[in-house]
Amino acid sequence: MLHNAGLTLSDGTTLDDLINRDMNEVSLRVMNDKELYELEMERVFARTWLLLGHESEIPKAGDYVMRDMAEDNVIVSRDRSGEIHVMLNVCPHRGMKVCTAEAGNAHAHRCIYHGWAFRADGSFIGAPIEKEQMHGSKRSKDELGLKKARVHLYGGLIFATWNKDLSFEDYLGDAKFYLDQLFCRTDNGLEMLGPPQRFVLPCNWKIPGEQSGSDGFHTLTLHRSLMEGGIMGGTAESIYDTAPGMYGVDLSVPQGHTLRCLEAAQTFKMFADVSFEGKSTEERLNLLPPPGITKDLIPQLFKNLSEDQVKQLANIPPQVGGMFPNILIAFIFAPRMDGGASGALSLHTYVPKGPDKVEFVNFIFAEKDAPEDVKRDMLQNAIWSTGTSGTIEQDDADTWPQIMRNSRGHMSKTITLKYQALHGHERPEGWVGGGDLYPGFTKDDTQWAWWMAYYNMMADA
Amino acid sequence: MVNYATAAIDKTSVMRGLVSTKRVPLGSEVYNRLLETLYDEAAALDERRFDDWVAYLEQDLIYTAPLRLTRNGPNKDRDVVRTMKHFDENYGSILMRTGRLAKSAWAEDPPSRTRRFVTNVRVAESETAGEYEVVSYLYVERSRMDNPENETISAERRDIWRLVDGAYKLARREIIVDQSTLGMSNFAIFL
Repeated sequence: MLHNAGLTLSDGTTLDDLINRDMNEVSLRVMNDKELYELEMERVFARTWLLLGHESEIPKAGDYVMRDMAEDNVIVSRDRSGEIHVMLNVCPHRGMKVCTAEAGNAHAHRCIYHGWAFRADGSFIGAPIEKEQMHGSKRSKDELGLKKARVHLYGGLIFATWNKDLSFEDYLGDAKFYLDQLFCRTDNGLEMLGPPQRFVLPCNWKIPGEQSGSDGFHTLTLHRSLMEGGIMGGTAESIYDTAPGMYGVDLSVPQGHTLRCLEAAQTFKMFADVSFEGKSTEERLNLLPPPGITKDLIPQLFKNLSEDQVKQLANIPPQVGGMFPNILIAFIFAPRMDGGASGALSLHTYVPKGPDKVEFVNFIFAEKDAPEDVKRDMLQNAIWSTGTSGTIEQDDADTWPQIMRNSRGHMSKTITLKYQALHGHERPEGWVGGGDLYPGFTKDDTQWAWWMAYYNMMADA
Repeated sequence: MVNYATAAIDKTSVMRGLVSTKRVPLGSEVYNRLLETLYDEAAALDERRFDDWVAYLEQDLIYTAPLRLTRNGPNKDRDVVRTMKHFDENYGSILMRTGRLAKSAWAEDPPSRTRRFVTNVRVAESETAGEYEVVSYLYVERSRMDNPENETISAERRDIWRLVDGAYKLARREIIVDQSTLGMSNFAIFL
């Protein structure tokens, strides 16, 4: 029996009771436990990098958006020098929200309660009636700024953390080789096509979280309508024989990030006749550009990525996956019946709002240099497939609350979730990128890797 | 992307009701027929008669639901954001959605039990003969599974209804939801 005594709940339950590493099982109780939730806020969400948005949302000095780092409300703003800052939206005077709008432009944020004011970089300007020194005499102005998080931009994506030590490079680990192929591949990068869709689901954040650990298997059943709609290679009658989209190379890194790399020709009906036999990387890209890439953008791939990265993007691109703890990546082909641009680029964050609530935030992208009509089609594709009304994710959003409902039962919560269909790490011949690789039929390996990342963070007091 | 944080005031993003000043008065024949159509449409959706609902739709339909944002100060009324939407539909995509609902759409199988309350209906003649601007308030109660608490949504709908062969058909609908963060788990239902 593996042993780690880093976490014991008040009733004596240990982390090893909840996550059985010998059996690859997780107690359903983890989805509905207030004590565990409080520890997650401290050990996971206050310690790791969290995705808040994209710099294209706040292009000008003073632009800001309001976002959440778990239950902490923050202002994401650009200062006069162009630098992006993330700070708690909590007035150090009386705890009021300093900023009350979701988006806007302000070089100073003045609290409506008593008027304490802060610059776009979070520093304290002063309180009204300067001569009366209403900020007091015990603390200097330097101490009265908004609490700042560390910020890192990756492919224009805005990440922030409260952790003083964790470098972004260590957070990404070997996932960088693959994620660069999605986020850092064109000269001007990604553009967010509008503010995120936001909606709240009655379930624990880990229910969508663990699915984002690259659960490929549920596609066949929960997303059966994809087969019925004729998009995937196969029909509703033949899905279990042909299992479209189930074969590829899944991968994980110890940080808990996971991806599913899929060959389009093996997955989607419309690409089934595309023959790549004997074709060069460039010819392959032109025959079938990866989701979101137009033919005009192909030369930029060679400029921004390594030869090995472009080769993978051409042959077997990463399409879905997640970044631990709460990011889903869906950079997918989205075949349209009307011949329009095929591709949808979405990122979600599943922001915890209590043990039994999660906010689903759906960010939708296109390459900034893509033509306007392509962006228009891709926005529509993403809305049709993902988020609020998306015909794929409607079914996820209805399933997760039912798992949550079961986690309340005295007996039900003793049931364990099974991650026992395991392939084991196996490096395909000629594969260049790092991480643990699971070629073939998609199994539970990546989701278990997600739980192991969770285990390690929760065990580390 | 249009910078929604700083863009100049765009009249189309300022929340307002009827645009036309040629009001169709309450109680008039046209008003009554349109009100009846809205009630019938709501019944078709509540009773999940999607073929009947699609029969109300014109082939040039544009059916959208923009985002709402919480704004303040000089931007306080610019809270309808059309760069992003919850629905971005045309006639073909609606057929795709209703077709899906007839098969394995687990989000509505078993189905929700819904009540659409349509009120505050205002009608005006549009610039095109035979077309009417119809603004209505919509309140939906949605009962899901064994959850004793309904999910709800309130919205204003700005429609264009067109008189075709003696019946009114929906050519345009913009759904202005009131929540910036939706309390409804998904829009697997139509609004």
